[in-house]
Amino acid sequence: MRTTKSDKTFFPYYFFEITVIALFTIEAVLILAVLFPPAIGREIDFSAQFSPRPEWYFLFLYELTKFFPGKWTFVGAVLLPGIGFSVLLLAPFLDSGGERSLKKRPVAAAVGFGLLASVIGLTMLSLL
Amino acid sequence: MRLLDYLNDRLGFTGRHRRILDRPVPKGINYFTCFGGITFTLFLTLVLTGLLLSLHYTPAEADAYKSIQRLHREVPLGTFIRAAHHWAGNLMVVMIVLHMLRVFVTGSYKSPRELHWVAGSFLLLLTLSFGFTGYLLPWDQKAYWATVIGTNMVESVPFIGSFLASLVRGGAEVSGQTLLRFYSMHILWLPVLIAVFLWMHFHMIRRTGITGGM
Repeated sequence: MRTTKSDKTFFPYYFFEITVIALFTIEAVLILAVLFPPAIGREIDFSAQFSPRPEWYFLFLYELTKFFPGKWTFVGAVLLPGIGFSVLLLAPFLDSGGERSLKKRPVAAAVGFGLLASVIGLTMLSLL
Repeated sequence: MRLLDYLNDRLGFTGRHRRILDRPVPKGINYFTCFGGITFTLFLTLVLTGLLLSLHYTPAEADAYKSIQRLHREVPLGTFIRAAHHWAGNLMVVMIVLHMLRVFVTGSYKSPRELHWVAGSFLLLLTLSFGFTGYLLPWDQKAYWATVIGTNMVESVPFIGSFLASLVRGGAEVSGQTLLRFYSMHILWLPVLIAVFLWMHFHMIRRTGITGGM
């Protein structure tokens, strides 16, 4: 562990900065809420199936399932996301070498950014 | 200050505060370290706006949609509170991704901080579950059909799929029972679970401190 201790304590130096950042965060939420409030949706019509779009952070999953129709749905809906999440969960054990610098962890970097790129790629594909 | 002394003698809170507040902060940290804290700020915003929304929402098949309409048209600041809940939720997902990306790039999840990451991964999963269950609650066209698709995905699991799906839906199809179930998840089960995992995440980071020198 290279924890070089500075002489600055959390309070008041960082406490002040953290307070400012927390206020900016809340401000961003309030501004977005005033400018772009969600609308009231249409009332449910059980007779007319319409193709909904899930929340943007589920779009990659929605897009992935389209590649696996019929009895293969399971692969896109559960298996691949399950493997992806397992890799994410176990990342510190899979990438367990002593090096912290990303340049010295080429495999971890490839897998990590590969995972990120596929999620972003699928999301973009779904937005097209 | 006599009241403060009285309370402090009995509760001993200054001792606890001092330990946290006087903790030296490692050198070389920068604003990228703030993503986790920003995520937590958004979480607190969600708790507050969620508590307010729950005062006006009815989790029943016949009334849910009407209660959203009432919230928008009659409740003072109703639209605004719902919009803030909506945006804080969306931004929370963004900030979690950025937070995880920062931790990954700096290799901060390495020994002795592996379990911080594991707890954090569960927090990601819980946050997405909040998003999924909350999406149904307005009980409108978009919410209903998105949940039909989502729960059909659960059904695709071999052997136990239909059992899992009926467990999630509270029946064979998405119905008022599903709405009640998702509402219960969204405001009771998931908050309890996320509180436990947040406590673990914060307890661990307080024990080990953050990695210094990026």
